[in-house]
Amino acid sequence: MGLPLFSAGGDPGPSFVKYAEMSGLVDFPPRPSAESPHATTVIAVRYVGGVVMVGDRQATSNYIASRDVRKIEAADRFTAIAISGSAARGMEFIRMAQLSFEHYEKMTDASLSLEGKANYLSPIIQRNNLATPLMVIPLLAGWDPSRREGRIFEYDGAGGCYERRDFATIGSGSPFAESALRLGFRTDLDREAALELGALAIYEAGDNDPSTGGPDFVRNLFPMIVTLDENGFSELPADEVAQRFTTINDRRSQSQGVAGGSLR
Amino acid sequence: MSNYFYVSPEQLIKDRAEFAQKGIARGRSIVAAIYDVGVLMVAENPSASLNKISEIYDRIAFAGVGKYNEFDRLREAGIRWADGTGFTYSREDVEARALANYYAQHIGDMFTEGQKPLEVEVLVAQLGTALRPTKLYRIAYEGTISDEARFAVLGGDAETIKTRFSAAESDLEPLDVTLRNAIAALAGPERTIDVADLEVCVLQDTGNRRTFARLSDERVAALLGT
Repeated sequence: MGLPLFSAGGDPGPSFVKYAEMSGLVDFPPRPSAESPHATTVIAVRYVGGVVMVGDRQATSNYIASRDVRKIEAADRFTAIAISGSAARGMEFIRMAQLSFEHYEKMTDASLSLEGKANYLSPIIQRNNLATPLMVIPLLAGWDPSRREGRIFEYDGAGGCYERRDFATIGSGSPFAESALRLGFRTDLDREAALELGALAIYEAGDNDPSTGGPDFVRNLFPMIVTLDENGFSELPADEVAQRFTTINDRRSQSQGVAGGSLR
Repeated sequence: MSNYFYVSPEQLIKDRAEFAQKGIARGRSIVAAIYDVGVLMVAENPSASLNKISEIYDRIAFAGVGKYNEFDRLREAGIRWADGTGFTYSREDVEARALANYYAQHIGDMFTEGQKPLEVEVLVAQLGTALRPTKLYRIAYEGTISDEARFAVLGGDAETIKTRFSAAESDLEPLDVTLRNAIAALAGPERTIDVADLEVCVLQDTGNRRTFARLSDERVAALLGT
Protein backbone atom coordinates (compact mmCIF):
# COMPACT_ATOMS: atom_id res chain seq x y z
CA MET A 1 0.00 0.00 0.00
CA GLY A 2 1.47 3.34 -1.05
CA LEU A 3 0.95 6.68 0.61
CA PRO A 4 -2.80 7.41 0.38
CA LEU A 5 -2.78 10.96 -0.96
CA PHE A 6 -5.93 12.51 -2.36
CA SER A 7 -6.67 15.67 -4.28
CA ALA A 8 -8.66 18.28 -2.38
CA GLY A 9 -11.83 17.37 -4.31
CA GLY A 10 -11.59 13.60 -3.89
CA ASP A 11 -10.46 13.58 -0.26
CA PRO A 12 -12.38 11.17 2.00
CA GLY A 13 -11.93 13.49 5.01
CA PRO A 14 -11.69 12.07 8.52
CA SER A 15 -14.08 9.17 7.85
CA PHE A 16 -12.19 5.89 8.00
CA VAL A 17 -15.06 3.95 6.43
CA LYS A 18 -15.11 6.22 3.41
CA TYR A 19 -11.34 5.95 3.05
CA ALA A 20 -11.47 2.15 3.46
CA GLU A 21 -14.07 1.88 0.72
CA MET A 22 -12.23 4.21 -1.66
CA SER A 23 -8.97 2.35 -1.24
CA GLY A 24 -10.54 -1.11 -1.45
CA LEU A 25 -9.57 -2.14 2.10
CA VAL A 26 -13.12 -3.35 2.65
CA ASP A 27 -15.61 -4.75 0.21
CA PHE A 28 -19.14 -3.46 0.79
CA PRO A 29 -21.57 -5.13 0.51
CA PRO A 30 -20.22 -8.46 1.72
CA ARG A 31 -21.41 -11.55 -0.09
CA PRO A 32 -23.69 -13.93 1.79
CA SER A 33 -21.91 -17.05 2.96
CA ALA A 34 -22.66 -20.25 4.83
CA GLU A 35 -24.15 -20.25 8.29
CA SER A 36 -21.87 -18.64 10.84
CA PRO A 37 -22.09 -18.35 14.61
CA HIS A 38 -24.48 -15.86 16.13
CA ALA A 39 -23.98 -13.83 19.24
CA THR A 40 -26.83 -13.15 21.62
CA THR A 41 -28.25 -10.93 24.37
CA VAL A 42 -26.68 -7.77 25.65
CA ILE A 43 -28.44 -5.18 27.77
CA ALA A 44 -27.67 -1.59 28.71
CA VAL A 45 -29.26 0.22 31.67
CA ARG A 46 -28.94 3.90 32.49
CA TYR A 47 -28.37 4.93 36.06
CA VAL A 48 -27.66 8.22 37.77
CA GLY A 49 -24.06 8.82 36.75
CA GLY A 50 -23.63 6.39 33.87
CA VAL A 51 -24.62 3.23 32.03
CA VAL A 52 -24.24 -0.44 32.93
CA MET A 53 -23.89 -3.02 30.15
CA VAL A 54 -24.11 -6.75 30.62
CA GLY A 55 -23.61 -9.33 27.89
CA ASP A 56 -23.60 -13.12 27.78
CA ARG A 57 -20.59 -14.96 26.38
CA GLN A 58 -22.07 -17.63 24.12
CA ALA A 59 -21.91 -17.84 20.31
CA THR A 60 -24.34 -20.29 18.76
CA SER A 61 -24.69 -21.77 15.28
CA ASN A 62 -26.41 -25.17 15.26
CA TYR A 63 -24.52 -25.98 18.41
CA ILE A 64 -22.57 -23.87 20.87
CA ALA A 65 -19.68 -22.44 18.85
CA SER A 66 -17.97 -20.58 21.67
CA ARG A 67 -18.54 -19.99 25.37
CA ASP A 68 -16.26 -17.05 25.97
CA VAL A 69 -17.04 -14.48 23.29
CA ARG A 70 -16.67 -10.81 24.25
CA LYS A 71 -19.71 -9.05 22.83
CA ILE A 72 -19.05 -5.74 24.52
CA GLU A 73 -15.93 -3.79 23.66
CA ALA A 74 -14.70 -0.31 24.41
CA ALA A 75 -15.02 1.76 21.24
CA ASP A 76 -12.96 4.49 22.84
CA ARG A 77 -12.45 5.84 26.34
CA PHE A 78 -16.08 6.90 26.90
CA THR A 79 -18.03 4.57 24.60
CA ALA A 80 -18.82 0.90 24.41
CA ILE A 81 -20.26 -1.10 21.53
CA ALA A 82 -22.09 -4.38 21.89
CA ILE A 83 -23.19 -6.67 19.08
CA SER A 84 -25.82 -9.27 18.36
CA GLY A 85 -26.40 -11.24 15.19
CA SER A 86 -23.61 -12.57 12.99
CA ALA A 87 -20.47 -12.85 15.08
CA ALA A 88 -18.14 -12.52 12.11
CA ARG A 89 -19.78 -9.35 10.82
CA GLY A 90 -20.21 -8.08 14.35
CA MET A 91 -16.54 -8.38 15.21
CA GLU A 92 -15.60 -6.54 12.05
CA PHE A 93 -18.22 -3.93 12.87
CA ILE A 94 -16.66 -3.34 16.30
CA ARG A 95 -13.21 -3.09 14.74
CA MET A 96 -14.46 -0.63 12.16
CA ALA A 97 -16.19 1.49 14.80
CA GLN A 98 -13.16 1.56 17.10
CA LEU A 99 -10.89 2.49 14.25
CA SER A 100 -13.29 5.10 12.88
CA PHE A 101 -13.54 7.00 16.16
CA GLU A 102 -9.78 6.96 16.67
CA HIS A 103 -9.15 7.87 13.03
CA TYR A 104 -11.44 10.88 13.31
CA GLU A 105 -9.74 11.96 16.51
CA LYS A 106 -6.26 11.76 15.00
CA MET A 107 -7.24 13.45 11.75
CA THR A 108 -9.03 16.39 13.35
CA ASP A 109 -7.40 16.56 16.81
CA ALA A 110 -10.94 16.50 18.31
CA SER A 111 -13.21 13.74 19.56
CA LEU A 112 -16.53 12.99 17.89
CA SER A 113 -19.51 13.79 20.11
CA LEU A 114 -21.41 10.77 21.43
CA GLU A 115 -24.33 11.60 19.17
CA GLY A 116 -21.90 11.94 16.26
CA LYS A 117 -20.58 8.46 16.94
CA ALA A 118 -24.12 7.06 17.15
CA ASN A 119 -25.11 8.60 13.82
CA TYR A 120 -21.88 7.53 12.15
CA LEU A 121 -22.74 3.87 12.73
CA SER A 122 -26.18 4.04 11.08
CA PRO A 123 -25.13 3.80 7.42
CA ILE A 124 -22.59 1.06 8.21
CA ILE A 125 -25.36 -1.08 9.72
CA GLN A 126 -27.72 -0.20 6.93
CA ARG A 127 -25.28 -1.22 4.21
CA ASN A 128 -24.42 -4.48 5.94
CA ASN A 129 -27.93 -5.54 6.82
CA LEU A 130 -29.66 -4.65 3.57
CA ALA A 131 -27.03 -6.44 1.51
CA THR A 132 -26.56 -9.71 3.37
CA PRO A 133 -28.46 -12.19 5.54
CA LEU A 134 -25.61 -11.88 8.05
CA MET A 135 -27.40 -9.29 10.13
CA VAL A 136 -25.71 -7.28 12.83
CA ILE A 137 -27.60 -5.25 15.40
CA PRO A 138 -25.32 -3.22 17.66
CA LEU A 139 -25.92 -1.29 20.83
CA LEU A 140 -23.98 1.85 21.62
CA ALA A 141 -23.67 3.26 25.12
CA GLY A 142 -21.41 5.90 26.51
CA TRP A 143 -20.73 8.74 28.86
CA ASP A 144 -21.49 12.08 27.22
CA PRO A 145 -18.89 14.49 28.60
CA SER A 146 -20.75 17.56 27.35
CA ARG A 147 -24.13 16.60 28.89
CA ARG A 148 -22.52 14.82 31.83
CA GLU A 149 -24.79 11.79 31.67
CA GLY A 150 -24.81 8.23 30.39
CA ARG A 151 -26.64 7.69 27.10
CA ILE A 152 -27.83 4.62 25.20
CA PHE A 153 -28.46 4.33 21.44
CA GLU A 154 -30.16 1.33 19.90
CA TYR A 155 -30.53 0.46 16.21
CA ASP A 156 -33.06 -1.33 14.08
CA GLY A 157 -32.13 -3.74 11.30
CA ALA A 158 -32.13 -0.99 8.66
CA GLY A 159 -29.71 1.19 10.57
CA GLY A 160 -32.21 3.50 12.24
CA CYS A 161 -30.72 4.98 15.40
CA TYR A 162 -32.87 5.65 18.47
CA GLU A 163 -31.83 7.04 21.80
CA ARG A 164 -33.22 5.25 24.85
CA ARG A 165 -33.66 7.10 28.12
CA ASP A 166 -34.15 3.96 30.20
CA PHE A 167 -32.60 0.72 28.96
CA ALA A 168 -32.12 -1.31 25.78
CA THR A 169 -31.69 -4.97 24.90
CA ILE A 170 -30.39 -6.74 21.79
CA GLY A 171 -30.22 -10.39 20.75
CA SER A 172 -32.43 -13.46 20.93
CA GLY A 173 -32.79 -13.39 24.71
CA SER A 174 -34.17 -9.85 24.59
CA PRO A 175 -37.80 -10.66 25.50
CA PHE A 176 -36.74 -12.23 28.79
CA ALA A 177 -34.11 -9.63 29.62
CA GLU A 178 -36.49 -6.86 28.67
CA SER A 179 -39.22 -8.21 30.97
CA ALA A 180 -36.88 -8.12 33.94
CA LEU A 181 -35.70 -4.61 33.06
CA ARG A 182 -39.25 -3.32 32.56
CA LEU A 183 -40.23 -4.46 36.01
CA GLY A 184 -37.07 -3.38 37.77
CA PHE A 185 -36.11 -0.10 36.09
CA ARG A 186 -36.44 3.16 37.99
CA THR A 187 -35.18 6.57 36.87
CA ASP A 188 -33.27 7.00 40.12
CA LEU A 189 -31.24 3.76 39.93
CA ASP A 190 -27.78 4.07 41.40
CA ARG A 191 -24.76 2.14 40.11
CA GLU A 192 -25.18 -0.77 42.51
CA ALA A 193 -28.90 -1.19 41.76
CA ALA A 194 -28.25 -0.96 38.01
CA LEU A 195 -25.53 -3.63 38.23
CA GLU A 196 -27.85 -5.91 40.14
CA LEU A 197 -30.76 -5.39 37.75
CA GLY A 198 -28.56 -5.81 34.66
CA ALA A 199 -27.09 -9.07 35.93
CA LEU A 200 -30.55 -10.38 36.78
CA ALA A 201 -31.84 -9.51 33.29
CA ILE A 202 -29.06 -11.52 31.65
CA TYR A 203 -29.60 -14.35 34.14
CA GLU A 204 -33.26 -14.46 33.04
CA ALA A 205 -32.30 -14.47 29.38
CA GLY A 206 -29.79 -17.27 29.94
CA ASP A 207 -32.42 -19.22 31.88
CA ASN A 208 -35.03 -19.09 29.09
CA ASP A 209 -33.26 -18.62 25.76
CA PRO A 210 -31.25 -21.57 24.42
CA SER A 211 -28.89 -19.27 22.49
CA THR A 212 -27.95 -17.17 25.50
CA GLY A 213 -25.29 -18.42 27.86
CA GLY A 214 -26.00 -18.03 31.56
CA PRO A 215 -23.37 -18.24 34.30
CA ASP A 216 -21.21 -21.32 33.68
CA PHE A 217 -20.10 -22.59 37.09
CA VAL A 218 -18.38 -25.60 35.58
CA ARG A 219 -15.95 -23.55 33.49
CA ASN A 220 -16.07 -20.50 35.73
CA LEU A 221 -17.26 -18.35 32.83
CA PHE A 222 -19.67 -15.52 33.53
CA PRO A 223 -21.43 -12.85 31.49
CA MET A 224 -19.34 -9.70 31.21
CA ILE A 225 -20.32 -6.51 32.97
CA VAL A 226 -19.01 -3.04 32.11
CA THR A 227 -19.80 0.44 33.34
CA LEU A 228 -19.43 3.78 31.58
CA ASP A 229 -19.25 6.84 33.77
CA GLU A 230 -17.30 10.07 33.98
CA ASN A 231 -14.08 8.07 34.32
CA GLY A 232 -14.85 6.24 31.09
CA PHE A 233 -15.16 2.55 30.23
CA SER A 234 -14.36 -0.03 32.87
CA GLU A 235 -14.97 -3.73 33.06
CA LEU A 236 -15.91 -5.30 36.38
CA PRO A 237 -13.23 -7.68 37.69
CA ALA A 238 -13.94 -11.38 37.12
CA ASP A 239 -14.31 -12.27 40.80
CA GLU A 240 -16.87 -9.52 41.39
CA VAL A 241 -18.89 -10.68 38.38
CA ALA A 242 -18.69 -14.28 39.62
CA GLN A 243 -19.88 -13.18 43.07
CA ARG A 244 -22.92 -11.37 41.66
CA PHE A 245 -24.05 -14.32 39.57
CA THR A 246 -23.39 -16.76 42.40
CA THR A 247 -25.65 -14.68 44.65
CA ILE A 248 -28.48 -14.68 42.10
CA ASN A 249 -28.01 -18.39 41.46
CA ASP A 250 -28.04 -19.26 45.16
CA ARG A 251 -31.31 -17.38 45.66
CA ARG A 252 -32.86 -19.23 42.73
CA SER A 253 -31.64 -22.57 44.04
CA GLN A 254 -33.26 -21.89 47.40
CA SER A 255 -36.61 -21.12 45.74
CA GLN A 256 -36.21 -24.04 43.33
CA GLY A 257 -35.93 -21.84 40.22
CA VAL A 258 -38.88 -19.58 41.00
CA ALA A 259 -38.44 -15.84 41.20
CA GLY A 260 -41.35 -15.83 43.60
CA GLY A 261 -43.15 -12.66 42.60
CA SER A 262 -40.23 -10.31 43.07
CA LEU A 263 -37.06 -9.38 41.20
CA ARG A 264 -34.54 -11.64 42.89
CA MET B 1 5.54 30.54 -30.60
CA SER B 2 7.35 30.42 -27.29
CA ASN B 3 11.02 29.68 -26.98
CA TYR B 4 12.40 27.08 -24.56
CA PHE B 5 15.79 27.77 -23.11
CA TYR B 6 18.13 24.99 -22.12
CA VAL B 7 18.52 24.65 -18.35
CA SER B 8 21.13 22.19 -17.11
CA PRO B 9 19.97 19.57 -14.60
CA GLU B 10 22.45 20.97 -12.06
CA GLN B 11 20.92 24.42 -12.38
CA LEU B 12 17.38 23.04 -12.22
CA ILE B 13 18.04 21.11 -9.01
CA LYS B 14 19.84 24.09 -7.51
CA ASP B 15 16.93 26.41 -8.30
CA ARG B 16 14.40 23.99 -6.90
CA ALA B 17 16.43 23.42 -3.74
CA GLU B 18 16.79 27.16 -3.22
CA PHE B 19 13.07 27.61 -3.67
CA ALA B 20 12.23 24.90 -1.13
CA GLN B 21 14.83 26.10 1.36
CA LYS B 22 13.48 29.63 1.22
CA GLY B 23 9.94 28.42 1.88
CA ILE B 24 11.02 26.28 4.82
CA ALA B 25 13.25 28.99 6.30
CA ARG B 26 10.25 31.31 6.65
CA GLY B 27 8.74 29.12 9.41
CA ARG B 28 9.88 28.27 12.91
CA SER B 29 11.87 25.15 13.72
CA ILE B 30 11.11 21.92 15.58
CA VAL B 31 13.35 19.91 17.89
CA ALA B 32 12.66 16.22 18.43
CA ALA B 33 14.76 14.39 20.98
CA ILE B 34 14.79 10.99 22.61
CA TYR B 35 14.76 11.20 26.42
CA ASP B 36 15.28 8.41 28.95
CA VAL B 37 11.79 6.87 28.57
CA GLY B 38 10.26 8.46 25.49
CA VAL B 39 10.41 10.86 22.59
CA LEU B 40 9.92 14.60 22.98
CA MET B 41 8.87 16.95 20.20
CA VAL B 42 8.94 20.72 20.67
CA ALA B 43 7.74 23.21 18.08
CA GLU B 44 7.66 26.95 18.26
CA ASN B 45 4.07 27.55 17.23
CA PRO B 46 2.04 30.61 18.25
CA SER B 47 -1.16 28.96 16.99
CA ALA B 48 -2.93 26.73 19.49
CA SER B 49 -5.03 24.97 16.85
CA LEU B 50 -2.94 24.70 13.67
CA ASN B 51 -0.69 21.95 14.91
CA LYS B 52 2.71 20.97 13.58
CA ILE B 53 2.95 17.78 15.64
CA SER B 54 0.42 14.99 15.48
CA GLU B 55 -0.34 11.43 16.49
CA ILE B 56 -0.08 8.92 13.64
CA TYR B 57 -0.48 5.61 15.40
CA ASP B 58 -0.10 3.88 18.76
CA ARG B 59 3.67 4.50 18.92
CA ILE B 60 4.26 6.81 15.96
CA ALA B 61 4.17 10.60 15.78
CA PHE B 62 4.55 13.12 12.98
CA ALA B 63 6.05 16.60 12.91
CA GLY B 64 6.25 18.97 9.99
CA VAL B 65 7.71 22.38 9.19
CA GLY B 66 7.23 24.61 6.18
CA LYS B 67 3.98 25.18 4.36
CA TYR B 68 1.11 24.13 6.60
CA ASN B 69 -1.23 22.88 3.86
CA GLU B 70 1.52 20.74 2.37
CA PHE B 71 2.70 19.00 5.52
CA ASP B 72 -0.85 18.66 6.85
CA ARG B 73 -1.81 16.66 3.78
CA LEU B 74 1.20 14.42 4.39
CA ARG B 75 0.12 14.06 8.03
CA GLU B 76 -3.38 12.98 6.96
CA ALA B 77 -1.99 10.51 4.44
CA GLY B 78 0.22 9.08 7.20
CA ILE B 79 -2.73 8.51 9.53
CA ARG B 80 -4.69 6.87 6.73
CA TRP B 81 -1.76 4.67 5.80
CA ALA B 82 -1.21 3.61 9.42
CA ASP B 83 -4.88 2.92 10.20
CA GLY B 84 -5.29 1.11 6.88
CA THR B 85 -2.21 -1.05 7.40
CA GLY B 86 -3.22 -1.89 10.98
CA PHE B 87 -6.72 -2.77 9.82
CA THR B 88 -5.48 -5.00 7.02
CA TYR B 89 -2.76 -6.77 9.00
CA SER B 90 -2.23 -6.15 12.69
CA ARG B 91 -1.50 -3.15 14.90
CA GLU B 92 2.05 -4.35 15.50
CA ASP B 93 2.76 -4.40 11.76
CA VAL B 94 2.54 -0.62 11.50
CA GLU B 95 6.11 0.60 11.41
CA ALA B 96 7.60 4.05 11.19
CA ARG B 97 10.34 3.05 8.77
CA ALA B 98 7.84 2.05 6.10
CA LEU B 99 5.95 5.30 6.51
CA ALA B 100 9.14 7.36 6.44
CA ASN B 101 10.09 5.66 3.18
CA TYR B 102 6.74 6.48 1.61
CA TYR B 103 7.12 10.09 2.67
CA ALA B 104 10.64 10.17 1.24
CA GLN B 105 9.45 8.74 -2.07
CA HIS B 106 6.59 11.18 -2.37
CA ILE B 107 8.58 14.25 -1.34
CA GLY B 108 11.42 13.14 -3.63
CA ASP B 109 9.04 12.70 -6.56
CA MET B 110 7.54 16.11 -5.97
CA PHE B 111 11.02 17.63 -5.84
CA THR B 112 12.06 16.30 -9.24
CA GLU B 113 8.77 15.94 -11.08
CA GLY B 114 6.26 18.20 -9.34
CA GLN B 115 5.13 21.57 -10.57
CA LYS B 116 7.08 22.89 -7.64
CA PRO B 117 8.90 21.09 -4.84
CA LEU B 118 7.12 20.71 -1.52
CA GLU B 119 8.30 23.37 0.91
CA VAL B 120 8.31 20.98 3.85
CA GLU B 121 10.49 18.89 6.09
CA VAL B 122 8.88 16.13 8.09
CA LEU B 123 9.80 13.89 10.96
CA VAL B 124 8.47 10.43 11.77
CA ALA B 125 9.16 9.38 15.35
CA GLN B 126 8.68 5.91 16.73
CA LEU B 127 8.65 4.88 20.37
CA GLY B 128 10.47 1.57 20.65
CA THR B 129 9.24 -1.79 21.94
CA ALA B 130 11.02 -4.99 22.86
CA LEU B 131 11.13 -5.75 19.12
CA ARG B 132 11.78 -2.32 17.64
CA PRO B 133 14.11 0.50 18.56
CA THR B 134 13.08 4.07 19.27
CA LYS B 135 13.67 5.96 16.03
CA LEU B 136 13.66 9.43 14.55
CA TYR B 137 13.42 9.66 10.76
CA ARG B 138 13.88 13.07 9.20
CA ILE B 139 12.81 13.60 5.60
CA ALA B 140 14.12 16.72 3.87
CA TYR B 141 12.43 18.72 1.08
CA GLU B 142 14.25 16.82 -1.68
CA GLY B 143 13.34 13.41 -0.28
CA THR B 144 16.54 12.64 1.58
CA ILE B 145 15.75 10.41 4.52
CA SER B 146 18.01 10.35 7.53
CA ASP B 147 17.90 8.19 10.60
CA GLU B 148 18.87 10.43 13.51
CA ALA B 149 20.48 8.76 16.48
CA ARG B 150 19.39 10.90 19.43
CA PHE B 151 17.73 14.06 18.19
CA ALA B 152 16.61 15.80 15.02
CA VAL B 153 16.03 19.41 14.10
CA LEU B 154 13.66 20.49 11.35
CA GLY B 155 13.40 23.93 9.80
CA GLY B 156 15.41 26.79 8.45
CA ASP B 157 17.86 27.31 11.25
CA ALA B 158 18.52 23.62 11.78
CA GLU B 159 22.32 23.68 11.85
CA THR B 160 22.62 26.37 14.54
CA ILE B 161 19.93 24.75 16.70
CA LYS B 162 21.57 21.37 16.25
CA THR B 163 24.90 22.69 17.49
CA ARG B 164 23.27 24.34 20.49
CA PHE B 165 21.33 21.22 21.45
CA SER B 166 24.21 18.78 21.07
CA ALA B 167 26.40 21.08 23.17
CA ALA B 168 23.80 21.07 25.95
CA GLU B 169 22.94 17.38 25.96
CA SER B 170 25.36 14.56 25.35
CA ASP B 171 23.34 11.64 26.70
CA LEU B 172 19.72 10.64 27.32
CA GLU B 173 18.23 12.79 30.10
CA PRO B 174 14.88 12.87 31.88
CA LEU B 175 11.95 14.67 30.21
CA ASP B 176 12.26 17.98 32.10
CA VAL B 177 15.97 18.34 31.31
CA THR B 178 15.51 17.46 27.64
CA LEU B 179 12.57 19.85 27.38
CA ARG B 180 14.62 22.68 28.86
CA ASN B 181 17.52 21.95 26.50
CA ALA B 182 15.22 21.75 23.49
CA ILE B 183 13.55 25.08 24.25
CA ALA B 184 16.90 26.74 24.92
CA ALA B 185 18.23 25.42 21.62
CA LEU B 186 15.17 26.70 19.75
CA ALA B 187 15.32 30.12 21.40
CA GLY B 188 19.06 30.76 21.25
CA PRO B 189 20.98 32.87 23.75
CA GLU B 190 19.26 36.19 23.00
CA ARG B 191 15.61 35.41 23.49
CA THR B 192 13.13 33.35 25.49
CA ILE B 193 10.01 31.66 24.13
CA ASP B 194 6.74 32.06 25.98
CA VAL B 195 5.14 28.76 27.05
CA ALA B 196 1.96 29.74 25.16
CA ASP B 197 3.98 29.85 21.93
CA LEU B 198 5.21 26.28 22.30
CA GLU B 199 3.68 23.09 21.04
CA VAL B 200 5.02 20.20 23.09
CA CYS B 201 4.17 16.53 22.50
CA VAL B 202 5.61 13.26 23.72
CA LEU B 203 5.50 9.57 22.95
CA GLN B 204 5.71 7.76 26.26
CA ASP B 205 4.41 4.50 27.71
CA THR B 206 1.66 5.03 30.27
CA GLY B 207 0.15 1.56 30.22
CA ASN B 208 -2.24 2.43 27.38
CA ARG B 209 -2.10 1.28 23.79
CA ARG B 210 -1.78 4.87 22.56
CA THR B 211 1.39 6.56 23.70
CA PHE B 212 1.06 10.02 22.13
CA ALA B 213 0.30 12.95 24.43
CA ARG B 214 -0.01 16.65 23.82
CA LEU B 215 1.30 18.51 26.87
CA SER B 216 -0.80 21.44 28.12
CA ASP B 217 0.77 24.84 28.82
CA GLU B 218 0.37 24.15 32.56
CA ARG B 219 2.17 20.84 32.28
CA VAL B 220 4.99 22.42 30.25
CA ALA B 221 5.30 25.26 32.77
CA ALA B 222 5.40 22.72 35.61
CA LEU B 223 8.14 20.72 33.86
CA LEU B 224 10.14 23.89 33.33
CA GLY B 225 9.62 24.81 36.98
CA THR B 226 8.24 28.25 36.18
